Formats: sequence, structure tokens, C-alpha cells
Amino acid sequence: MSLIEIAVVGAGPAGVSAAVTAAQAGAKVTLIDEYPRAGGQYYKQPPASFGTLRLPASLADTRSVQHGRELLAGLLHPNIDLRYNTLVWNITPDRVLDLYGPQGGSRLQAKKVIIASGAYERVVPFPGWTLPGVTTVGAAQLLLKGQGLLVGQKILVAGTGPLLQLAAVQLLDAGAQIVAIVELQSRLEFFGHASKLFGQWAKIGQGLENQKRLMDAGVPIKFGRAVVRVLGDAQVERAVVARVDSHGRPLAGGEEEFAVDAVCINFGFVPATELTRLAGCEQRFDSRFGSLATVTNPDLETSCRGIFAAGEVRGIGGVEVALLEGRIAGMAAARQLGYDPDAQDPHREWQKARAAVDALGSMFAVKPGLYEAIADDVVVCRCEEVTAGALRVAARAGALQLNGLKAWNRCGMGRCQGRICGPIAAQIVAAGAGVSVESAGAFTARIPIKPVPLGLVASAGVEQSAPTAMEDHVGYGKAIV
Amino acid sequence: MGARRIEGIERGAPITITVNGQPVPAYAGESIAAALMAAGWRAFRRTETGHAPRGFFCGMGICFDCLVTVDGAPNVRSCMTEVHEGCVIQTAET
Repeated sequence: MSLIEIAVVGAGPAGVSAAVTAAQAGAKVTLIDEYPRAGGQYYKQPPASFGTLRLPASLADTRSVQHGRELLAGLLHPNIDLRYNTLVWNITPDRVLDLYGPQGGSRLQAKKVIIASGAYERVVPFPGWTLPGVTTVGAAQLLLKGQGLLVGQKILVAGTGPLLQLAAVQLLDAGAQIVAIVELQSRLEFFGHASKLFGQWAKIGQGLENQKRLMDAGVPIKFGRAVVRVLGDAQVERAVVARVDSHGRPLAGGEEEFAVDAVCINFGFVPATELTRLAGCEQRFDSRFGSLATVTNPDLETSCRGIFAAGEVRGIGGVEVALLEGRIAGMAAARQLGYDPDAQDPHREWQKARAAVDALGSMFAVKPGLYEAIADDVVVCRCEEVTAGALRVAARAGALQLNGLKAWNRCGMGRCQGRICGPIAAQIVAAGAGVSVESAGAFTARIPIKPVPLGLVASAGVEQSAPTAMEDHVGYGKAIV
Repeated sequence: MGARRIEGIERGAPITITVNGQPVPAYAGESIAAALMAAGWRAFRRTETGHAPRGFFCGMGICFDCLVTVDGAPNVRSCMTEVHEGCVIQTAET
């Protein structure tokens, strides 16, 4: 097993920023990412073979894209060893990482680990949400930025938050028709929230610009509404939208139907905490976002000595926060190894950026009525096809936590390991069992955190439970946390 | 209707892949999901229990809905895997 100085897991904004900062301070850094290129989802890079992507103005040549290019250029530093197409599928508190990459499995130990694993999108189910053509908003953006492909040509964008309008402008500029934006918050709530951005003129300016573009293009923004079902045979064909009350519960009557070939949904983001939880790092429940986030000290070291966390894994903060946290973690890890980073201390700037995000935190929260309204026959766990009704039965019968569900059904036990359904199931179980979402908890992080060949887990000597018949395609491991 | 490649973008070299025994045009560097969607596929497979159609959903390799068989290897995430000349893809959407 090789011993390295610093392992950075995740090559998104936080991870790249951490790797470059630590390398410039003199440390030797190994940057590991599951994707074939650096940038993460935010600075998604097209394949090298694509040459220059001539994308619409809203996607290309913005300050953000320019900044991403400059940031990624820092990865050419000779102290950085890049390992793309490589999954970190296990981590121990003493910083041993199990990897699975193009050369198969390998193991390394790092003196310091910086986990910058990012976030996933939050989605709320409705009848038909598993139909092909229903995707996350981020998925549509990734297709656009990374592949130059439109997810559909008559698109309905639904969920909550300013991202919906930004994504709609991007899709519009790329030539799609946006049939409607369906925003959960009422107009009053939405603009009331926006006023809390006082002082953040760049964000307000961008928001207003987006709204003008949408208005000019005749895109209706349906405030205080939600998608209540989508219809189609083997793919989405129509979407039905209804008004919701202040609680998020759809109101009867006044439904509107749209002909669509794609429906893109996003209700915010959920920190990707599997690795920090596997390592045993302390987590907190972020009630504003209704999900776990990894706890650190001001130098971004977690409760496990030598393991740092940076970016969305600490709580949803956006790209500016992620870049600053990467720098802080990179400097702190390098300093612990005896290097002397001469970069400017970003703590003050960081606290300002985090405070601005905290003000935004609860603004675009998902409303509980939306979860209550999920009909019993709607699939919640896409992998194992467990319905909302089955979760409610389990909750009423005594499943007070997500980890207790397995006595009743296989929710969260499929290939995605609850990444999609966990936050949804927590809301449904909490409501059904009469407990808080915090106490309903999250599914335990298991090894491997994503499917790897079964033999790999066995040969790595990591203890694991015997796979069941339904798990024979992958090697789901023993519960650790 | 459905997914469409945006015009005016410099793509990788045109290549041919095989999907369910039929030749399908694609570009070097494209993801399998992008190539399939551009060629008109929306459903890539059916679920084991409910026989429900599934396709591209999260786009970032976490939902495992867009699985296809590639060169004989089952359960490959089409959103995370690039096409290559002559690759043989099997979907299971019917």
C-alpha cells in the first residue's frame, strides 16, 4: 500500500481549489475523481475530442466559465497526480482509501485527506416521475454543457429556486421551447426571498436578467404551483400542473396540462456525505435543507484527525463558498504537513460568503405538504420500486428511522443506495411515524459507496455481509456507520 | 421530438456504434446516453420487478437508471461511459 501526502477526493470547484492550493504550498497531492475530466458538475468540461464547444451566450464566455478555465489550468502543477475515472469506494478513519479505476482495484493511505464530494439534486416524486424524459434540472444542464445535447425540445422546468430560471434560459438559448417554469413558492414568497439578497447586486442582476429573457421569450413562470402528474406511454408526453397552498399541498381544480417531451425537476441540493459518514466524521442535521452535512472546525478539519471536508459536503453553499473552502482546506492540510502556504488567508471572505448563503438557506425550502400529497401508489425508491404507501405502512408499524425500514421493504437498498430516495423517504417516514425528519435520519453509508465488482470488495479484505440474490450484480457491503 | 444535438458545435470524429444489432451514428467523446438519446431512444431498459421503462435521469452517475449492456458487460451507466468506435450496446426497453 502506497503512502501519500494529501489525497483530495472530488475534482469539482472545492477539490480542484484544495489540490492546487496545497500543491502550490509544496505538498504532493493525489486528486481522485470518478469522472474522466476535472471540473465537477459546475465546471463540466466537454470531451477533449469536442474541440471548442460553441455554446449559447448564457452558457459560454461568462465570467464563471473563464474562472473555471483558470482554476483547472492550475491542475498542471507538477505536484499534482491526477487519477480520473477512479471511484473512492471505501475510506477508514486512519485515512486508508480503497479505489476502483481503469487498472482495477488499489489501496492507498494518505497523511491528509480532503473530501470534496459535492452534492446531489433533491427531487420530489409525483405520478409518472420515473418515466423516461423526466430528468433532474442538473442532468439537462450537464447534457448541454458536457455533450452539446438538448434533453428535449418542449421542456417543462419544475421545482423551486433561482436555478430553474437560469437553466430555462440556458435551454432556451440552445434552441429548446420552454413550455413553463413551475415554481413551488408563490410570487410573493419568491420575491420576498429575493429581497433578502440585499447587497448582493450581482446575484440580483443575474436574476432580473434571466426573468427579462424569459418574459421576452414568452415563457410563463407559474408561481405557487407544482407538477402533480406526468403522463405518457413509454416516455413523458404531458405534464399536469396544479396550484399549491402555502403548505405545499396541491389544491383541487384549476389544473393545467402541457404537451412536453421533457420535464426537468430540482428542489435544491443534498450534500454527498457517504464518504465522510463512512470515515466516521461527525455530521449535523441541517434543518434549513433537511439533510445531513459534515461538521468541521474553522480549518475545515472534521472530527477525524487529518480528514478535511470542503464545499457542498459541509452544507449547500454554492460555487463561491466551495472555492474558498477548497483553499482553506488545502492550506490547512499543507500546513499540518510542515509546508508554509503563502496564499492570503481566505477566512474572512469565506465567512462573508457563508453568511450570504445562510440568509438564502431556508428561502427555497421544500414544503412538507408536497410530500404528504405523494399518493400511496407512487414509487419513491426507484431502484427497488418501493411505493410511498409501503413506506407509510412501515412507519405506522414502527419503522421510526430509515435504517429500520429494511424489516419491511427494500427502500434504499438498491444500486443508488438511497441517494435519490433517502431525503424523500425521510420526510414520508417522519410524517407517518410522527417523528422529526432529523430523527428519521438517513440511510447508513455502506461499502462500496457505489457498485464495484463483487470480487474487488472480497479481495480487498474488507468485511462485508453476504450478498443476497437481489444483490448479485454488485457487492454491497457491511453497514459501517 | 425528443433530444437533439445543438448545431454549430465542433464534435469529435463521427463514428458508428452498434445498438441492438443496428448501426447508429455517434461522435467520439460522446456519452452512450447522449448518443442513444440523439438517435431517438428515451427508455434504455425496464425494471426487474415492475417492468417499468427507465432512461436518463440524474445525468451524473448516482441514480443507476440509465444502465445498458456495453460490449457484453451488463449494468453500465450510459451517462458516465463514452462511446468508442465499434462498441456494441444492448438496451432492454421492451
